[in-house]
Amino acid sequence: MGLNYYQIKKNILRARKLVIKATNIAGSGHPGGSFSMAEILGCLFYKYLKFDPNNPQWEDRDRLVLSKGHAAPGLFSNMAVAGYFPESELETLRKFGSRLQGHPDLKCPGVEFCGGSLGTGLSYSVGIALAAKINSKDHHVYTIIGDGESDEGQIWEAAMTAAKYKVDNLTAFLDRNFIQQDSYTEQIMPLDEKLEGDDLSEMWKDASRWKTGDKWRSFGWNVIEIDGHRIEQIDAAIAKANATKGIPTMIISRTVKGKSIEHMEDNPQWHGKAPDSDVVPIINHELDSQFMIAPSIIAGDMANLENEVKRCVSGRSDYIHLDVMDGQFVPTKTFDHNKIKELRPLTIIPFDSHLMINEPVKHVRDYIDAGSDIITVHAEVTDESSFGEIHDLLKQNQIGVGFAINPDTELPEWSYKFLPSLDQLIVMSVVPGKSGQKYIEETHVKITRLNSILKENNFSGYIEADGGVNLENIGSIFADGARVFVGGGAIVGQQDVRIAIRDFRNEVLKSRRRILLDKAHELGGTDLVNKWIGLHVVGEKQEQIKKIAQEAGYI
Amino acid sequence: MNEPIMTDMRSEYSKALIQVGKDNPNVVVLGADTTDSLKTSSFGKEFPDRFFNVGIAEGNLVTVSAGLAASGKISFASTYAIFLPGRAVDQIRNNIAYPSPQGKKGLNVKLVVSHGGLSVGPDGGSHQQIEDIAIMRVIPNFRVFIPADTISVSKLTHLMATEYGPFYMRMARSKTPIVHLESQDFQIGKGITLRDGSDCTIAACGITVKMALDAAESLHQEGISCRVLDMFSIKPIDNEILEKAARETGCIVTTEEHNIFGGMGSAVAESVSESYPVPIKRIGAQDMFGESARDDEVPLLLEKHGITSFNMAKQVKEIRSKKL
Repeated sequence: MGLNYYQIKKNILRARKLVIKATNIAGSGHPGGSFSMAEILGCLFYKYLKFDPNNPQWEDRDRLVLSKGHAAPGLFSNMAVAGYFPESELETLRKFGSRLQGHPDLKCPGVEFCGGSLGTGLSYSVGIALAAKINSKDHHVYTIIGDGESDEGQIWEAAMTAAKYKVDNLTAFLDRNFIQQDSYTEQIMPLDEKLEGDDLSEMWKDASRWKTGDKWRSFGWNVIEIDGHRIEQIDAAIAKANATKGIPTMIISRTVKGKSIEHMEDNPQWHGKAPDSDVVPIINHELDSQFMIAPSIIAGDMANLENEVKRCVSGRSDYIHLDVMDGQFVPTKTFDHNKIKELRPLTIIPFDSHLMINEPVKHVRDYIDAGSDIITVHAEVTDESSFGEIHDLLKQNQIGVGFAINPDTELPEWSYKFLPSLDQLIVMSVVPGKSGQKYIEETHVKITRLNSILKENNFSGYIEADGGVNLENIGSIFADGARVFVGGGAIVGQQDVRIAIRDFRNEVLKSRRRILLDKAHELGGTDLVNKWIGLHVVGEKQEQIKKIAQEAGYI
Repeated sequence: MNEPIMTDMRSEYSKALIQVGKDNPNVVVLGADTTDSLKTSSFGKEFPDRFFNVGIAEGNLVTVSAGLAASGKISFASTYAIFLPGRAVDQIRNNIAYPSPQGKKGLNVKLVVSHGGLSVGPDGGSHQQIEDIAIMRVIPNFRVFIPADTISVSKLTHLMATEYGPFYMRMARSKTPIVHLESQDFQIGKGITLRDGSDCTIAACGITVKMALDAAESLHQEGISCRVLDMFSIKPIDNEILEKAARETGCIVTTEEHNIFGGMGSAVAESVSESYPVPIKRIGAQDMFGESARDDEVPLLLEKHGITSFNMAKQVKEIRSKKL
């Protein structure tokens, strides 16, 4: 089974938008903590949790306990996306007569725990886990606790109890976002180390200062530490936890409060505050503007691809882009599924396999088995029937479905019917076959043209730009609508992959900020531009955005 | 007068627990390092897989019990009174009383405590819980019992095991005299008339029931006919029996080893003032904490707060003059 990366990602996006909508309409609520755990909930709801929205009390369901109950909008949004109730019900959040109370409540079928009073969800989960043991049931209990609520002594009472009774059917996540109501956790009550000064980023730099994992280990738990926004890391951690017997698991997930929205990120003000209506469209635009960097390893040393993968991993790439060429569809030959299989154990970062091969329908199974997470096949060598077969097979195996068109190829009309469920569309901006070519400028116009077709046909996937992407053009390609960027020479060809990826990200960020400023200006003129800029209070963002706004003549 | 038979509430609770555990495999028992004292450990010996000792962690005790109940178990959680309502009221409210599955009120957890009130004795004021009834009475969905003897304890334990929902039952530390017949029927929200009378009513609960009976007997010697009610069900309270007593006897003395504020006496006053107001005198801890007293000195401690049959008789005589 693949990671189901794109399906999870798309659902997380939907849920995040619902959180914004619901808290805006309610006029209060907790978006910050809903966003820090968004990817964790996404992996649980759309991959691991066994549940039946039509029968919420199904005895064998897995239990999800949200101990940090103030993040209720995050839970409710995912429940809506998962089909427990219509998304429109989120509009009743926190209102009189609603099932969607300010904090999770059994009034809403499917909610397992009345959260709100902090520090108790883990004890409750121990109770549920013990009941399952008594009944010899194999359902699992997943619990999300906050770092702020870890100040509560009862968290540690529960920790000891879980270890004593060996509840290996309990997996807990610590949403380690470093922020509680008053301020940074490491100022209020450190779990790692007391933070001197105001710069939270100091805490991230030095892993030797992180003590939280040691605390849980010393309480007798199996501890896994991950980046709580990386789907593949959450996925791997859950799989590992589920396979661990005789001991409960704590997945310490380093997260960012308000993740995905720059002005909310790491900002204690967004612990419990609703976004204003005039800013909501800008926020939604920003949510639609998340992006991924996918270095292509063939731009490196073909004789040592293992090392190229390792460089991408340490460079913190989002995907590993694997250009499979058969010497027939394209003149060059690179490697096939056997190589991918060899590389797979090196990392859990999603493998983005781009099949530039003839008759992909005959071979796609091999690429699934080799461990791909996303598989893209070309329009030039598929038709409605063969692509349909590929599409279904990939979906069944939780593999992202990609479709690619060469520079001279228009999106075939037969493919329109697949657009709503298509995950990734690669718009080649060089003629495939070799690395190091220049970006074909006509691609800008092509993507713009494509956008209207994609919109008309309810495409909810991601456009991947592949070929000649570099620091100079990535901003404009992003502005065109691309969200995944394959980097060959411009990343893998560089001495330091990590710096190259960071620079890529910064360029996209700059472009994104400009687009969001355009949006603010279009919607509310200088006033809204100034208001939006003013929301960015953490770090140097405000000054940087101001500069862009000045260059644009907005302020 | 024959010496009354003295029996131990905790032993009776323990026996009843094992019986309900045999009757229903869903019964689980939890403790917090007081399981030998509460005698719940014998349930653990009988049913090791359904017995959990969470250590000295009462909040945890309450919430783990709630989690088990959320999965269909019938949780009995026990420790001393002072450590449950007094310490874990948030967990009791938010983890047991508040969560209400569809069509139900609260979770199926029974908090059964020992060492209620002043009669705890030597451990002193820090351990004498005189506030628990007030605390438990104001939490929606909870029902509150104070049994007078071991017959009550046994029957109420069986009743709680079969009746869905959150209950609080407070037992006394010391042995108590039998006041009920084996055949006595116990119903939620139904007081029991232990002695009829027409001049006054004493509404009692727990260890004060026997004192009230003694007071009524001595009043009888003086030609005063005193009714005695065992108000073991403090919530829901028996409005009917109280209204009847008010109408027929015209005045009420309440007696309990709890603060006079918020306890059973307050519950009686609330009820009667809405149905048929008559003069009421509340006997109980006079808004003062308790203090150490050796077992043989406990009567002195109780006397300090006016909790004696002598004072009950005295108050009956006084309040009769205030009848409307």
